[in-house]
Amino acid sequence: MLDVKNIYKNFGSLKVLEGVSTQIKEGEVVAIIGASGSGKSTLLRCMNLLENPTFGEVWMDGKLLTPVDPYLHPEVIMASKMYKKLIKSGMGSDSAVAKTKAEDLLNEKFSVAEGKEYTKAIKAIYEENHIDINVARQEMGMVFQQFNLFNNKSVLENITLAPMKTRAKQMIKDGKSKKEVKQYFDEKAMQLLCRIGLEEKANVYPSTLSGGQKQRIAIVRALAMNPKVMLFDEPTSALDPEMVGEVLDLIKELAKEGMTMVVVTHEMGFAREVADRVIFMHDGVIAEEGTPSEIFDNPKHPRLQQFLGSIL
Amino acid sequence: MYILQMFEDMGKIFVKYWDLFLIKGLSATILLSIMTVFFGTVFGALLALVKIGKIKPLKWIVNAIVEIIRGTPMLLQLYISTFLIPVLIPSMNELENKKLICISFTLILNSAAYVSEIIRSGIEAVDKGQTEAARSLGLNSTTTMIQVVLPQAVKNILPALGNEFITIIKETSLASTFYVGELMTQYHIIVGKTHNSLPILMIIGIIYFVLNFVLSKLLGVFERRMKAHA
Repeated sequence: MLDVKNIYKNFGSLKVLEGVSTQIKEGEVVAIIGASGSGKSTLLRCMNLLENPTFGEVWMDGKLLTPVDPYLHPEVIMASKMYKKLIKSGMGSDSAVAKTKAEDLLNEKFSVAEGKEYTKAIKAIYEENHIDINVARQEMGMVFQQFNLFNNKSVLENITLAPMKTRAKQMIKDGKSKKEVKQYFDEKAMQLLCRIGLEEKANVYPSTLSGGQKQRIAIVRALAMNPKVMLFDEPTSALDPEMVGEVLDLIKELAKEGMTMVVVTHEMGFAREVADRVIFMHDGVIAEEGTPSEIFDNPKHPRLQQFLGSIL
Repeated sequence: MYILQMFEDMGKIFVKYWDLFLIKGLSATILLSIMTVFFGTVFGALLALVKIGKIKPLKWIVNAIVEIIRGTPMLLQLYISTFLIPVLIPSMNELENKKLICISFTLILNSAAYVSEIIRSGIEAVDKGQTEAARSLGLNSTTTMIQVVLPQAVKNILPALGNEFITIIKETSLASTFYVGELMTQYHIIVGKTHNSLPILMIIGIIYFVLNFVLSKLLGVFERRMKAHA
């Protein structure tokens, strides 16, 4: 479903991700753990391109989200001097870096590709395999640490805004009136609010809600788009302790229903209970990954042992 | 003794020339200010859009213009424009009120430069998380701007825009150098008739003060209301 290939991310001279590859399968729940500064949030944000990877590819359902030629990436071009240095200093010697999936496709279909041919080949790959990021994001829900409900919209409007702006046009084309479409999305939003027991809050503004309520609404706001995958960026880190439970319960419920999820979290108990696979990040790379029991009961990487020791 | 005399003169002069002060001068000042703020806001908004936009060369040009305007005295800009614009656009010379046009142009440009900074900082003050949340739902950048960022930015922008209005009302007095008919111009006209400066200046000072005081109180009420609705 989600295929992350060789992601590098630099903020200026700070290297946050240094070659991360992983695949998220359909229905899988993946927990990403690690100390702060290990790059786990950045990895998650690279998955829906809220952060543009400096280098590397993100694929969703066989469609490429990042630019086709990794060397044509605007940030790479801007940083080309730096990249020449990086490649000289050893990054290029890593064959995995040089060989990304787009290049595979390029080699597969166009054996000789140079100059104009190369540009043509890239364009063909683009047309065949690329997906617009705004379209892709409609299929990937994201939940933030700081909730980020729209302050200027009521709870109901928060939930219906994205469906109305992205899906309504097609429905109107299919013969529905504007009123019917609005009613449809309003009803759907009310169903979602009923599900989390906040239907009486439909017309209030986010500033009057508690953290736990905000986060649960943020989750159903993402669900309103019927996403194929949900990305959670430390969903309980900004909550008061007594509100953590209600949010985690909702996420667990989603997991049970078979939603594909990637969760960056500090809640080890939760990761252990819900995740099919746990990824431990350290210094911008995946230091260790495996099933929860492998990671929590039998950690191999010394930093993971240290990390778990300091937390539990 | 002199002070008492001055108050007496103020009364006499005001009774005699009240129409010059209130009807001609004040209305011209208010009209000039409203026009400047209106067009200044419109152009300022456009400049702000360029500033937060991605087109680098346009950004440099706008930044250069704004810096030049903020870094030179308004009076100098008024002088330069009254000489420069008719040279650049020769057909201007046939117009009767070309001075007024040149002065309005400078006032508007000046205000647009400041307003663009107000709007830019107002937009940038909106939490980045709001944009990220909207983009993560698949909304494009235009929809995000219109639906989420701008409505929240307006709350930051309007109070500062009110202050800009007050500043402009005071700055229109510089236009009196070119006799465009606003309050300070009336001073020059009346002093030519009475040869008694101080009482006239005091009257004009009071008019400016009352105008701006009332306006700033109104803005205060407005601001508190907006906060209550937030």
